[in-house]
Amino acid sequence: MTNKNQQPRELGISEAELAAMTSDLDQMHRDSSLPALTESVDEWVSANKDEETSSALGGASRRTFLLGTGAAAVGGLLLAACGSSGSSSSSTTAAGGATGAKYPANLTGDLKVAALAASLENLAVYTYTAGIQAATAGKLGTVPPAIVTFATTARSQHMDHAAAWNAVLTGAGKTKVTETDPVLTPVIQKMFAKVTDVTGLAELALEVEEGAGATYQSGIGALSSPKGVAAAASIQPVELQHAAILLFVLGQYPVPNAFSPTSSARPLTDLNT
Amino acid sequence: MTPQPKGLAEIDEHQLLDLVEESADLHADSMRGIAEPLEEMVELEHERRLEQPDPDETSAFTRARDAQLTKAFGGKMLVAAGAGAALVGLLSTDAFASAPTNVQILQTAASIENLAVATYGVALTLPFIGGSEANPVVKTFATMTMSQHQQHGQAFNTAIARLGGTKQTNPDPALLAVVNQAKPGLTSAGPVVALALELEQGAAETYVANVSALTDNNAQAVTASIMGVEAQHAAILRAVQALVEGNDASAITLPPPVASLPAAAGSVGFPDSFFPTNQARPATEGAVK
Repeated sequence: MTNKNQQPRELGISEAELAAMTSDLDQMHRDSSLPALTESVDEWVSANKDEETSSALGGASRRTFLLGTGAAAVGGLLLAACGSSGSSSSSTTAAGGATGAKYPANLTGDLKVAALAASLENLAVYTYTAGIQAATAGKLGTVPPAIVTFATTARSQHMDHAAAWNAVLTGAGKTKVTETDPVLTPVIQKMFAKVTDVTGLAELALEVEEGAGATYQSGIGALSSPKGVAAAASIQPVELQHAAILLFVLGQYPVPNAFSPTSSARPLTDLNT
Repeated sequence: MTPQPKGLAEIDEHQLLDLVEESADLHADSMRGIAEPLEEMVELEHERRLEQPDPDETSAFTRARDAQLTKAFGGKMLVAAGAGAALVGLLSTDAFASAPTNVQILQTAASIENLAVATYGVALTLPFIGGSEANPVVKTFATMTMSQHQQHGQAFNTAIARLGGTKQTNPDPALLAVVNQAKPGLTSAGPVVALALELEQGAAETYVANVSALTDNNAQAVTASIMGVEAQHAAILRAVQALVEGNDASAITLPPPVASLPAAAGSVGFPDSFFPTNQARPATEGAVK
């Protein structure tokens, strides 16, 4: 094990070499996974249109019920926390939606799951944006370049995720979700107000990532459309990868669970607030 | 030299062991969550087996898997194994179309886990992975990951046995060929990490593909709880690989020396916004014949 007093030193791999590796991986992503997901979402949009026509999306299914009950305890805890939270940590990044628009009315079934997912992705984007802005303003002390890259890349991926879910909503004739999860947002804002360094920011991001991953895992059981399941299944591992890197950076074991839990999944009732 | 960010301190070996113990506690919590889906899955499958196979369900499953297989045939591991033609033949058989698909999927998943356990076991016999020359973080990671794959295999096999199926105790045959081909070249950490990454990525992609193809809700839940874990293994291995390929394996510490890492290191572990499935293994590849 490395000596605790050892000073960090420059690595043998150069920035250019690593950037080239990252560029190759990004190209693979653009060539392979992104088109596949786009196709999947397009097919799901078509399926939603068909189901809307026949009024098949109305009513709560057993799967929807399962998602709602999966996170009841956590939801209650966060609601309690919200009750005592009146703070807003960031004056530079809006949470809750730039336009103040409410969630699309009367969403049910898969479309409500898509709206919840979009609101969580928006919250992740908000969190990373606020963190990057705080770092840029010098509020977090010295921020290593690798941390900046992590935050900007993770934020970009969350924007991709939000766009995918919003494509499903707009494809079904609904409006985009531009708000952040209304129950979780005040909790995250309250936590962000206490962030003073990179470690605090990483801990906050970990909270968001683990919640998102758990919600997608729970959502897999709640979605009725196979295409919707495929979309959630393609995103859950990415959120957990973000979480693993954050754990590693925080000096915690990066893969703590042999089976990923759903205890921190957000319920659909978040959108009823 | 860039200073270490505030709050990030390196951890000694005793602290690492403490973290592993904490991780075990967390794992015990997650195991409680997985028990219920497994039990429900067993009950539902027993009910299903009393009925005739549903032709529509079978057809839908076959179409879904065919779509994944089309992508899988482009995967480099399958090409390396030279098994593409054999699998195309298998796909066209009636046996595939009418098989109890959830059991086959579980058997294939178990076979992938069996291979992973065996591969990490071999790796840990190497002095630079599990011996005195080994980096402690790499050794701990290999040991913990092997244990997690053992648990995955046990979970899949428990479900298979209770469904009345035959436990899969053998490794995935196509992937075994890949591992055997790689063995002579495992003379340093780089090739070992590359092989482990290939297996982890393949496992994660297989489970992502299976989650959207499975017809049984509880089989789906079990698989979904494992796919992200394999993806996490892959993320850490990608980060380790970047350091190993940079000839600076000593930088693999917990936490890593974040302040001195190149900027691009921050994203090397998670290259995809959407997890791909082009290396997913065919559903029947590891099924008991």
